[in-house]
Amino acid sequence: MSGITATSTLDTSGKCCPMPIVETNKAMKALDLGDILEIIATDTGTQKDIPSWCERTGQTLLSMTEENGVLHYHVRKDR
Amino acid sequence: MKSLAIVIRDDSYDKILTPLVFAYLASAEQTQVDILFVNWAVKALTVEGAASLRMDGRHAADEAMVRENVAKAGLPNDIYEILKALKASGCVNFYACSLAGAIFGVNEGNLIPEAEGIVGASWFLNDKAAPADHCQYF
Repeated sequence: MSGITATSTLDTSGKCCPMPIVETNKAMKALDLGDILEIIATDTGTQKDIPSWCERTGQTLLSMTEENGVLHYHVRKDR
Repeated sequence: MKSLAIVIRDDSYDKILTPLVFAYLASAEQTQVDILFVNWAVKALTVEGAASLRMDGRHAADEAMVRENVAKAGLPNDIYEILKALKASGCVNFYACSLAGAIFGVNEGNLIPEAEGIVGASWFLNDKAAPADHCQYF
């Protein structure tokens, strides 16, 4: 996997758009600057949505990996 | 995108989901969303009207399946619950078109508290839709 240590984890497995983005937004609000959120998702739409959301909201996508249909993202809170 | 204006006319359960989902996504990146409900869709801004929304025509028989899958996706499968979630985001405002309210029976007495109020379409088009970064019609 990525080797990045997450501050907290959000599991959206089974959920579809818009919930992974909505829940990511809520989870990030609870974090401090520099914290890293790991997002687990099975909605393939997140492969475009999460990088795009990070870019527009000023967060940093540190990694995006896929294993057996499960997607893992690490996002650092920068704003 | 800083602002999004949406006009919703279609009031069938399945078709109203799309603009509400778009609004939910936009709210997740702090986009200001203003939604005007016109024609029959204005009834979605009442408790009874939101609960009465059904799927129409050739898709009507699939309503139970759609509601089940909406819940599986993680969304509330009740329209009023979605409206409340959108309002709770702090980024979404709902407006009832005054003409639609007069025709379809929506007034200050039955309007849900999550709605901003009953407004003229001219005000919405000029003050919300025209200056918005993006405008959508459903």
